[in-house]
Amino acid sequence: MTNAPHILVIDDELQIQRAIRTILTEKGFRVSTASRGEDGLTLAASSEPDIVILDLGLPDMDGVEVCMRLREWTQIPIIILSVRDSERDKVAALDKGADDYLTKPFGIEELLARVRVALRHSASRTGAQSKVVKAGQITIDLAWHIIKRGEEEIKLTGTEYKLLAYLASNHRRVLTHQSILTNVWGPADADHTEYLRVYMRQLRKKIEIDPENPQIILTEPGIGYRFIADE
Amino acid sequence: MRIPSLLSRFWHYLAAFALITLITVVFFILRDILETTLIALLYLLPLGIITAFWGLGPGITSAAVTFLTFNYFFLKPYYTFTVHRPTDVVILIVFLIVAVVISQLVGRMQAGLAVATAREREATQLYEISMALAGLHNEHAIAEILARQVQAVSQGEYVEINISGGRAFSFHLPESAPPARSPELTVTIEAARGVLGEIRLWRASPAISSNEKRLLQTFASQGALALERARLAEAESRAKVLEESDRLKTAILSSVSHELRTPLSTIKAAASSLRGKEVGWDSPARTELVAAIDDEADHLNLLVGNLLDMSRIESGALKPKREWNILLEIVESVLARMKHLAGEHQLAVDVPEDLPLAPVDFVQMEQVFTNLVSNSVKYAPEKTVIHLHAFVEGESIHVLVSNQGPQVPQEHLERIFDKFFRVTAADRVTGTGLGLSICKGIIEAHGGRIWAENLSDGLAFHFTLPLVWDGALPPRLPMDTEDE
Repeated sequence: MTNAPHILVIDDELQIQRAIRTILTEKGFRVSTASRGEDGLTLAASSEPDIVILDLGLPDMDGVEVCMRLREWTQIPIIILSVRDSERDKVAALDKGADDYLTKPFGIEELLARVRVALRHSASRTGAQSKVVKAGQITIDLAWHIIKRGEEEIKLTGTEYKLLAYLASNHRRVLTHQSILTNVWGPADADHTEYLRVYMRQLRKKIEIDPENPQIILTEPGIGYRFIADE
Repeated sequence: MRIPSLLSRFWHYLAAFALITLITVVFFILRDILETTLIALLYLLPLGIITAFWGLGPGITSAAVTFLTFNYFFLKPYYTFTVHRPTDVVILIVFLIVAVVISQLVGRMQAGLAVATAREREATQLYEISMALAGLHNEHAIAEILARQVQAVSQGEYVEINISGGRAFSFHLPESAPPARSPELTVTIEAARGVLGEIRLWRASPAISSNEKRLLQTFASQGALALERARLAEAESRAKVLEESDRLKTAILSSVSHELRTPLSTIKAAASSLRGKEVGWDSPARTELVAAIDDEADHLNLLVGNLLDMSRIESGALKPKREWNILLEIVESVLARMKHLAGEHQLAVDVPEDLPLAPVDFVQMEQVFTNLVSNSVKYAPEKTVIHLHAFVEGESIHVLVSNQGPQVPQEHLERIFDKFFRVTAADRVTGTGLGLSICKGIIEAHGGRIWAENLSDGLAFHFTLPLVWDGALPPRLPMDTEDE
């Protein structure tokens, strides 16, 4: 089983460590654990895991700093764990390079879903970046700037297209308001969440089947948006 | 009473001598017209005046001087201190006695008057300060009154009141920094329980008299009384608040432990029976038990979240992270998540697309809608309609969540937003008893208002959200409509 995906869990709560290790080992992953940020960083450097699951509340250092230090040398997917009501920390970690987050307490399906997405991310890093993203009936051709529902082309305005393209090409990550605003509108508009809200509404009307109950672009309350692509 | 300085005393003597000289010159000119006895009588007049105006010392001295000048200039033989006629001797002796006695009487009266005036002034000042300090419960105000009174009485250059204790501070008059030298007078403000502070007074001249020192000490003890009264009053009100919050905490604890124990008991029972051998691997009971554990764990999580929110609201730490949001997006996000909870209830949403952007915290507003809708789901009978309606009203958005559930007795309409308040018995409906009070906390943190109203066929929750944020109205966005 040496080829089994390797997951590093950095969390100081032993009960959580135990639960995650039991479940992930059961599912065929190799799991290593660390209780402190420094140990986690050392372990990440020496064992090169495929995914890091990182708790934001560590005893020795800030989880956001662990994110930054990992990102200095590696692009491995980082899934952060944190408690409810710490949107600010989650956003900071996501902006510093984390890919996804889970709010404690979480169900095991959620954890496995996040791990699966991250693993695909990890795999695609080595291969060529796909230029076509599919989500439900929607096909987005990033090279040719063509959006189709089934065979029918969908017309988007310039800003709508930029927004959709940014979300689709980062579909394995949770994107914060700030990162979307910075990349689509520019750094000067990074605080204008209202732009994002209004354009997102227009965009959903064009691409979602039921815009009131979106399936492709999901709202992450207080954090940002997540694009759900077919794999 | 202030002791005249050496300089002013010298001036008094000088004035006395000048007057005596003047009178003597006048008498000398009229010496041949006036009789000796009349001169002696007239000499008594300036003596009285001198004693009355310039004090006993100049008076007595003048008496002695007049005795000599009278003898020298007006008793024959002139220009000698010898006296020939026996009547003259009698006149001289009587003059001396009368002069000294008058001087002394007038002087004593003057001194008595001065003392009485000073006493009266002191009494008035004491009365004023005690009136000013009466009823004051603020230490800063007390220090200020004390400083002003000390300043008014002493006419000092600089007065500083230092209050020691838990919240030490100082008050000074005038506003500027104190003089570089150390103060001329320092009086401690001391009460039965110890030193409460001190009064520092800078006044180089005239030097501070012992009377003034005594008066300022009285002021200090008045200040000490006022300070002590203020501190006692504060301690009392703090004790009351503590008592109240203690009572509330006990109520919360008992309610919370009840609420926490219910899901915990379910989890414990389910988990232990799964661990044992009573439940077969394939029995449907197993699925039930696992579902119960999962549901109750969610319930516990909700409860803990609500408690955290409540404590945050109570401590004022709930600060909305405001952004211009589309209210409909928040409502839709909530409804998408609540679909499976709504069960047989119908949700009718009437939130216009073109409602202005609202300056709200997305996550907190989600919670308000979640709590209001879940409250309606909990109490309204199945198959009834829950309405969500929002419209603009002046410079706010007015939101209405109504259901066809039971009405709330009029007297409880306000109390349903209180912590742990329930109209129905606690064991009939599950929940935390915190949902509505959290809504209230969030809405009020947004500057809005929340209330409930009985409808003819149900209950409505209303709340308002101001549209103005930091003085700005909702932005209108430059939209690009061009097709690619």
